[in-house]
Amino acid sequence: MNDLLSLIALPAFWSGNEPSQIILIVLDALLGMLNLDFVYARLESPGEAASVELLRMSESWRLKLPAPEICSVLRIWFQDEAEKPFSPVRKRLWDEDISVIPVPLGINGGMGTIVAASERASFPEQTESLLLSVAANQATVGLHEARLLTAQKQLAMDLDRRVAERTVEVATTNQELRREIVERALVEARLRHEEQEVKQKEEALAKARSELAKMVQITSLGVLTASIAHEINQPLSGIVTNASTCLRMLSADPPNIDGARETVRRTIRDGNRAADVITRLRALYSKKEPSPEFMDLNEAAREVTALSMSELQRSTVVLREELEDDLPSVFGDRVQLQQVIFNLLRNAADAMRTVEDRPRELTLRTRRDGENRVQLSVKDAGVGITPQAAEKIFDAFYTTKSDGMGIGLSVSRSIIEAHQGRLWATANDGPGCTFWFAIPCNPQALADGEPGLKQADSSADAA
Amino acid sequence: MAMESPNDRGGNARPLLSVVDDDESVRESLPDLLKEFGFAARAFSSAQEFLSSGCLTETSCLILDISMPGMSGPELYQELRRRGQDIPIIFITGQRDETIRTRVLKQGTAGFLLKPFSDAALLTAINMALQAT
Repeated sequence: MNDLLSLIALPAFWSGNEPSQIILIVLDALLGMLNLDFVYARLESPGEAASVELLRMSESWRLKLPAPEICSVLRIWFQDEAEKPFSPVRKRLWDEDISVIPVPLGINGGMGTIVAASERASFPEQTESLLLSVAANQATVGLHEARLLTAQKQLAMDLDRRVAERTVEVATTNQELRREIVERALVEARLRHEEQEVKQKEEALAKARSELAKMVQITSLGVLTASIAHEINQPLSGIVTNASTCLRMLSADPPNIDGARETVRRTIRDGNRAADVITRLRALYSKKEPSPEFMDLNEAAREVTALSMSELQRSTVVLREELEDDLPSVFGDRVQLQQVIFNLLRNAADAMRTVEDRPRELTLRTRRDGENRVQLSVKDAGVGITPQAAEKIFDAFYTTKSDGMGIGLSVSRSIIEAHQGRLWATANDGPGCTFWFAIPCNPQALADGEPGLKQADSSADAA
Repeated sequence: MAMESPNDRGGNARPLLSVVDDDESVRESLPDLLKEFGFAARAFSSAQEFLSSGCLTETSCLILDISMPGMSGPELYQELRRRGQDIPIIFITGQRDETIRTRVLKQGTAGFLLKPFSDAALLTAINMALQAT
């Protein structure tokens, strides 16, 4: 009875849930309880290739045979014996006769077998068989539980692992998302910054354009100064000469009153001439900021030709003005447009500098162009331009002149485009070429009083 | 102010000064001043006009503008040298370009005046030119 209770209490001993450990506890219990000579267990684990063999031996048998040999013998015996469970057999092992009884573990021995062996011929008696089967049951239950617990543990571990993995995944995704958010924010910030830069650059560009136009004013002034100085020097020189003559005439004996009177008359005339030039100069260059207004292009053109007249005459250029009557007013910056006209006249005169065999004719023409446009052209009889050069000459700093600035046409084009107009050049039928610009009378989209940025002017103008 | 007029090549009492300038006010005013100096004076509007005037041999001194349409002052000077006419020349100009002055003076002209010039400066230059011959 005690033994039975002990067997039933066995589960309290197996704490580690390790199958081998459980079986060894059972084997040890059986060995002691039944005074076995040896007790063997073979455990089959599902899915694992090798089965586990366990053996416990009595003192005397430990000296007789090594454990592996007993195991291999038992293996052979019970392999062939097709497992008649619970049927003891009498076998000869070494030089002893032993009674061996196989006890299956699990249904049909699916979990393994315990083999109990004793030299006693009477083994096993009924109680012993009972104890064996109880032990086998306990072992089976223990193994089951062990397997269950292992499976549970495995499941838990799996679950933990999966949760951990998922957590890592989520954390990684979170991190990536956060990084993406940061990146997006950076990109947005950069975009905003770039927008600002673009805006600043546009402002800088507009400012540079106006400064360039101003510079053209100044540099043209430098070029103009030579002819202006000349214009003023002529009358001044006359004044000095006439006054000197006047003094001498008055000091003569008798004084030459009529002669003196004539010199004074000439002096007054020359003085007025000089004042005239100054007035025109002041009118032309008084403005600092480009300020558009409704203006008469003919009048503006006439002022420019008047200022350039002496220089043109000195170069034996014959100027013809064909200004259309009742030319509509244009909205534009007077000073800037006069700059352009001045540039075109100067270029035309330069183009004819080497011409000897024909009159150096320069024709400045204005006319109305369609409903809303006014056109000005400067035609020369000079060396002309190739079709390839016809576009290139508007590039900044392109020049065929050895002393030219080349900046005139590029800036002139900028000015005309700022007026929403177009500046271009064509070759003449005869010698030379013609430069044209056309600007609208009423440009659209005027922002802050300044003419808007250029609009492509699609119509072509034939001579 | 009376002044001694040296005899010119042609033996006249009053030397002939020819003024060549495309500027009308110069042609108007300068001869009068030269007459007040005591010279005879004639004015021409271009180098060509002077060359074809027949006054070449009579001219004691040439007062010449530098930049003129057609033949310029220096070009006329070269032309006269080519023809063997050794007339002393005083250049007058409104341009303040130093390089022209140096170049022209190198060629050995008598004088160079910047407009506007004083009557005293002009007289000095004329006297120097006439004494050189």
